[in-house]
Amino acid sequence: MTYVVKNNKMEIHDLIIIGGGPAGYVAAERAGHKGLKVLLFEKKSMGGVCLNEGCIPTKTLLYSAKTYENALHGDKYGVFGDNIRFDFSKMMARKNKVVRKLVAGVEGKMKMNHVTVIKGEAMIVGRGKEGVEVSCEGNSYKSKNLLICTGSEAFIPPIPGISDSGDIILTNREILDLKEQPSSLVIIGGGVIGMEFASFFNSLGTKVTVVEMLPEILGGLDLEISAMLRDHYAKKGIEFNLNAKVVKVEGNKVIFEKEGKTETIEGDKILVSVGRRAVTAGFGLENLNVELFRGGIKVDEKMRTNVPGVFAAGDVTGFSLLAHTASREGEVVVNNLTGRNDIMRYNAIPGVVYTNPEVAGVGETEESARAKGIKFRIAKLPMAYAGRFVAENEGGSGICKVLVGEKYGEVIGVHMLGNPCSEMIYGACMAIEQEMTIEQLQEVVFPHPTISEILKETIFSF
Amino acid sequence: MATVVILPKQGQSVESCIITEIKKKKGDVVKKGDVLFAYETDKASFEEESPVDGIVLESFYNEGDEVEVLLNMMVIGEPGEDYSGSENIGTENKGADITGADASTIEPTKSTKSTESSPIIQQFNLSEKETPIYRDDSTIQQSFSSPRAKVLAKKEAINITQLSGSGPKGRIIEKDIKAVLENRPKLTSLAKKIVAEEGLQAQGAGSGLAGTTKSTDLVATPMNATYGVDYEDKKLSNMRKLIAKAMHASLQNSAQLTHHLGADARRMLELRKTAKNAFESGKLSTNITLNDMVCFAVIKALKKFPNVNSHFLGDSMRLFNKVHLGLAVDTERGLMVPAVRNADDLSITGLANQLKEVAGSCKKGAIAPELLAADSATFTVSNLGNYGVEMFTPVINLPQSAILGVNTIVPRPKDLGEGVYAFVPYIGLSLTYDHRALDGGEATRFLKQIAIEIETLELDLF
Repeated sequence: MTYVVKNNKMEIHDLIIIGGGPAGYVAAERAGHKGLKVLLFEKKSMGGVCLNEGCIPTKTLLYSAKTYENALHGDKYGVFGDNIRFDFSKMMARKNKVVRKLVAGVEGKMKMNHVTVIKGEAMIVGRGKEGVEVSCEGNSYKSKNLLICTGSEAFIPPIPGISDSGDIILTNREILDLKEQPSSLVIIGGGVIGMEFASFFNSLGTKVTVVEMLPEILGGLDLEISAMLRDHYAKKGIEFNLNAKVVKVEGNKVIFEKEGKTETIEGDKILVSVGRRAVTAGFGLENLNVELFRGGIKVDEKMRTNVPGVFAAGDVTGFSLLAHTASREGEVVVNNLTGRNDIMRYNAIPGVVYTNPEVAGVGETEESARAKGIKFRIAKLPMAYAGRFVAENEGGSGICKVLVGEKYGEVIGVHMLGNPCSEMIYGACMAIEQEMTIEQLQEVVFPHPTISEILKETIFSF
Repeated sequence: MATVVILPKQGQSVESCIITEIKKKKGDVVKKGDVLFAYETDKASFEEESPVDGIVLESFYNEGDEVEVLLNMMVIGEPGEDYSGSENIGTENKGADITGADASTIEPTKSTKSTESSPIIQQFNLSEKETPIYRDDSTIQQSFSSPRAKVLAKKEAINITQLSGSGPKGRIIEKDIKAVLENRPKLTSLAKKIVAEEGLQAQGAGSGLAGTTKSTDLVATPMNATYGVDYEDKKLSNMRKLIAKAMHASLQNSAQLTHHLGADARRMLELRKTAKNAFESGKLSTNITLNDMVCFAVIKALKKFPNVNSHFLGDSMRLFNKVHLGLAVDTERGLMVPAVRNADDLSITGLANQLKEVAGSCKKGAIAPELLAADSATFTVSNLGNYGVEMFTPVINLPQSAILGVNTIVPRPKDLGEGVYAFVPYIGLSLTYDHRALDGGEATRFLKQIAIEIETLELDLF
């Protein structure tokens, strides 16, 4: 079944989606499931940056690295192995296999939910009486509603010399296609993406240097936890240059200013991970007079743009830049289109850094709460309070921190360092979404022995 | 020696006053002549000035309290001065003390008329002065609810005082609370706590999970589905309450109807012109207005219809020898109806002066309360002619038997005889009378008499 019509009698779709990333494909899946006639355009590969160049490939590689490290340090657990080694190209090959498998999975979901997927570059023609018109490779398509999920791309800052360094300069995309492990890597930007690659290559023995403009890595996350993670990696050999402003790139040299002094470091490769930019050009957005805001498409709490029938979700809104935010935003659009009133909330969106150990947090940090003038109480415990953590993390450390409102004791923020907090943080998301109080959480039964018990322990220490 | 400031007695019938504003608090420095506090009787408001320089050593009452007259309000003196003994306990002139709504009713004082006129105000005899029984409304109401209902209401933060029960004698039972729960938006437990403690309320769909109402959705005043939040709830002033009560009682307790009739106003307009010229040229010290002339005509008519110049007292009629004319005056604080006593003794200039004086006093809030009592007038005139009103149905100021509404002057065609028709200015007269006291014939004859008096008006201007 296809809706491509070349004659005048044009089929009107309920929803056209441009971009098949976590916002687009999830929205398509939900909308198709609800019976809407959905058409999705994807110019590259289903799954978007997340699946092809982001979340999934990095997690795959990081798991290889973790497995290697575990094997390497098995002696801590009384397990000994000889000649433990890794094969970089096999790691990469496995990553590609995982990505392929999941892309196929997304395509399968589209089929299952009767979503028509067109591989090609969509171009918005305009908006008329019958809705929005989009063209693709000479064909024209109409829809009552349009959802723009064109995502974001790595931002390359205009550092002198950066464009002359050729393939020494990498972004998240190129670094995932490396054929060989670099012996040294300079990472400009110590945010989440930078730190995950730092972690991966550090595990494999690459000499990693992080150059960060701000006073601390992982900007926006809990400051104490960020510092603890940095300490951990500093001990593992990563060199950190904080408050360091890169002024020039010369070949494989990165020249930066730090505390008034100019320093130079060299790397086989240079990863630029200073941030991402919404993709708002190249698909005819200008034909809709859509309002932009901070470089992204401006939307309201129902993800509506200023143009009726036109929605935006995901990185293109330039707001959250997280796959799970994007998916939820896409769902908000579909819910409202299918008669369920729904609004986007950003106060309980978890943030996770898949380093080893992992960092996970949701809600207010001490810093953000203070900045907002929220009165809160705080409790924190070392991860070692959870028996399972001690059993499985020989010599490991971590922390769990809970922030509650001063007066009523409702959970407003939870931040953790220590494996596998990425899998535990959703519990805190639910507590924050539901404005659960200390008393309520204290009545929840946590499975024993699990590391998640650390949350309960921390709650009881209020 | 400290000076005690008492609440003055403003007029014979005034037993208590509402303290509307405390301008000087305990510890404030005051100068002689500074306003200490403002208070109002059922019709007028007053300000009390400090008789001496000093500081406020003690202030016994709060804003909103109803205080019996002649009780001690404040003590002014030197810092540190002993003022013991100035408390109202044991005051010789009154054995009773009245405070605001937070104190209990033990026994209503029979001496005040406000048991009838203002039930909101609780007055009581403090035989148990040292141990006042405090109550809040909820505890009183809760005695009419079942224990199960109470427990559930408390748990779910439902204000039980606002419910009417479906149990025997209006007792609130569990079912009533459950009914409220069904209709109320789902609340997070934090939201419930805040509802219970801070009295905020939920409104509409919440912004939480699946429309759950979160703490941030709570508002002090719930939005009306039709009008939004474009209103504020304002407590009625004491005066407004009394007007409301009097107006409602009038319509409920009498048999009112209104006759409308026009009077040729040519003569009156001529007289007005003469009077105006005389006033402007200084020949006349008083500006005699149309209203003064109408009132003058009304007094003359009343002298010929003694049945109208009366109070209807249920089983008797009180016919007055003298005309005490009430005049409806629009003031910032609300409608006031001061009386000009013995108006039938006055010349037109005397009447004009008196009417101006009472109206002016009302606007300043300095009218003697006796003149505002409904029974101090025998008949009332309400003039809306200035505003261009062509016809209305004034409401009788009980126990008076009738009230005259004076309308604007409009030109009307009139047969002037000998085939001549002309437009003639007519003044509209609307007489509302109590059919219990007067029959239609007599009322009509009286109304006609007013018209005749207006048309044949003779004024002794010079």
